[in-house]
Amino acid sequence: MEEFRQPIILGFVALYMGICIWVGIWAMRRTKSAGDFFVAGRGLGPMVVSLAVFSSTLSGFGFVGGPGLVYATGLSSIWMAVCSALGFATGYYLIAKRIRMIAEVRNAMSLPDIVFARYGSEAARLLTAGTILLGVLGYLATQILAMGLVLQSILQGTEMFAEISLVASVVISSTVLIFYCVTGGIVASVYTDLVQGIVMIVAGALVVITAAYVFEGGFAEATGILLANDGEDIMPFGTLGAMASLSWYFLFGLGLAGQPHVATKMMMNRNLADNKIILPMTVFGYVIAAMLWISVGVIMRALVLGDVGLPLGNADQAAPAFLSTYAHPVLAGIVFAGLFAAIMSTADGFLNIGAAAIIHDIPKALRGRSLDNELFWARMATIILSVVAATIALYSGQLVALLGAFGWGTFAAALVPVVLIGLNWKQASARAAIAAITLSLAINFAIQLWSIEIPYGISGGFLAMLSSMIIFIAVSLAEKPKPLPKDIDRIMEL
Amino acid sequence: MKLIHSVKPIHLVFALLLVIAGITIFVLTSDIPPGASGVPHPTIDGLSVGGDGAEKLSVIGKAPYYFQIAVILLAGTLLYMGVPERRRDRLLRICFGIGIAFALFVWVMLFTGYETYLATGQTRVVFGFPVPTNWMFWGIWGSFAAFDVFYMVAFRRYFLHPDDEAAFHALVRETEAEAAQMKNREAN
Repeated sequence: MEEFRQPIILGFVALYMGICIWVGIWAMRRTKSAGDFFVAGRGLGPMVVSLAVFSSTLSGFGFVGGPGLVYATGLSSIWMAVCSALGFATGYYLIAKRIRMIAEVRNAMSLPDIVFARYGSEAARLLTAGTILLGVLGYLATQILAMGLVLQSILQGTEMFAEISLVASVVISSTVLIFYCVTGGIVASVYTDLVQGIVMIVAGALVVITAAYVFEGGFAEATGILLANDGEDIMPFGTLGAMASLSWYFLFGLGLAGQPHVATKMMMNRNLADNKIILPMTVFGYVIAAMLWISVGVIMRALVLGDVGLPLGNADQAAPAFLSTYAHPVLAGIVFAGLFAAIMSTADGFLNIGAAAIIHDIPKALRGRSLDNELFWARMATIILSVVAATIALYSGQLVALLGAFGWGTFAAALVPVVLIGLNWKQASARAAIAAITLSLAINFAIQLWSIEIPYGISGGFLAMLSSMIIFIAVSLAEKPKPLPKDIDRIMEL
Repeated sequence: MKLIHSVKPIHLVFALLLVIAGITIFVLTSDIPPGASGVPHPTIDGLSVGGDGAEKLSVIGKAPYYFQIAVILLAGTLLYMGVPERRRDRLLRICFGIGIAFALFVWVMLFTGYETYLATGQTRVVFGFPVPTNWMFWGIWGSFAAFDVFYMVAFRRYFLHPDDEAAFHALVRETEAEAAQMKNREAN
């Protein structure tokens, strides 16, 4: 079977992409309005929403960057994963119900719509939409680049495509992504997320089992090797230390609910009561899939430090190297499909909220109404956004890394106070929202632009988020409380 | 007593954020020991090692310990804010108290276990990983997974009470009726 490894992997990836295209065609018939395109007409069942929420949270980073970070720095980055139980709890305790209620009462289609409904400020809506657009461009570019690199590495392993270029790989993989996002909008996005979530759970579970058998003594033997060589790497804070790890816990644990591609999906469930089972299903799916992150990273680090395996040229090769050396070809095929699933499930969410920002939110903030024929322009915006992001990914050099790093921290720092606190505290004011978003963008940009190194490995995104939360509450407390619109006031009582 | 009763969860959130900011400023302005955020592996490119963990904490001491205590309290208070004010009762406060106490217990076990390892260089390996690492994997994750379970179990009592659901549906009907009226008026 080993001689068919590459064809098997390619077969699984092709099958997965075929399913995505089929879902796109199927979803096209269900997409008749902008409401269908952006929020699936608020008619999704609990299974679809929970898998969509978890799969769009765990991007390609969880399957490639995560294991790479564990390989390079030990367990420091695992704090980004163990905070998931807190992250999803904050999402469901603090925003899921109210965001869904406001969406129905105000016919909201996006997070900036929710921000406008809550604060009654076009400036807050515009800033939220602008933040989303900035973050989306960066995040999307890194996802498209990752997709192209993975496809290129798979195709280069075959005789027929040995010389395939990165540009061609980006074009092929982006075409599939664009096809189902343009035809089926968010309906295609969430139903492919359903497939993607299942693939990721299966991949995560199977990889853990495989990783446990790489060493005869299982994970205990790998741990023994790491303890003998360094020790800090396999202890809770990894090589980066306690403050780096804990600042990530803060940023990712409390910042998850501020991710617009995640929060937007909380508007889409058919019944409010479904949240009761959506939360545990989301947490369960995430934790199984994230096990790949931990197990592959630890095993690859132990193999290299224990002189069993050769050092990797690049930390991000940890997962592909593990799969090509230790995984059964069928498992490797499933996991590579899972890898595409992880990347695409995040990218399609970004495309959707980015398109909403361009054709719905920004025009509404600037001229009081969105574009005519929204559905047509939503499809056009999806194509344009993909092409711009792919161009940034391929030709911008350092800009893609800059924008990618900017992504999560930008969303968390700018939107957590405005959405998470603002939907649970009536005194929160529009001025505070504007100040918090502006300050968080300034801090994030300054840290990235001037490559400011923060002592003890503390995350820049954490500093931005902490500052924006403080300024948000301080400004709101300093202002005289203003009455809320009647419907929003009643929703905030529930 | 009156002052205590006038303190709302948002005030506690604000105070905890200021505590976290204070600890962070202390860390940022402290001297940086060599290898505070790891050192490159001497022979393998792209790999870093932790070096002397005790040395890393020599300047900032227990700052990370207190930092995380404040973060756990902040997380608990934020989650508490997610329950509608008129649904917050004594039982809820007891449940949250137990949940937060458990999360703090896990954190104390993790950090003291790590300190013991730094002092002795010894640790037990359980389920394939060192004991403090297990507290991180299962404890840190599990202590807030308990809040996820609570959400599911107490959903109808605290998070979407049947009366609140009915009130929401009434609001939707009112809004739709108002919209229809407005449409009629515009048509006329």
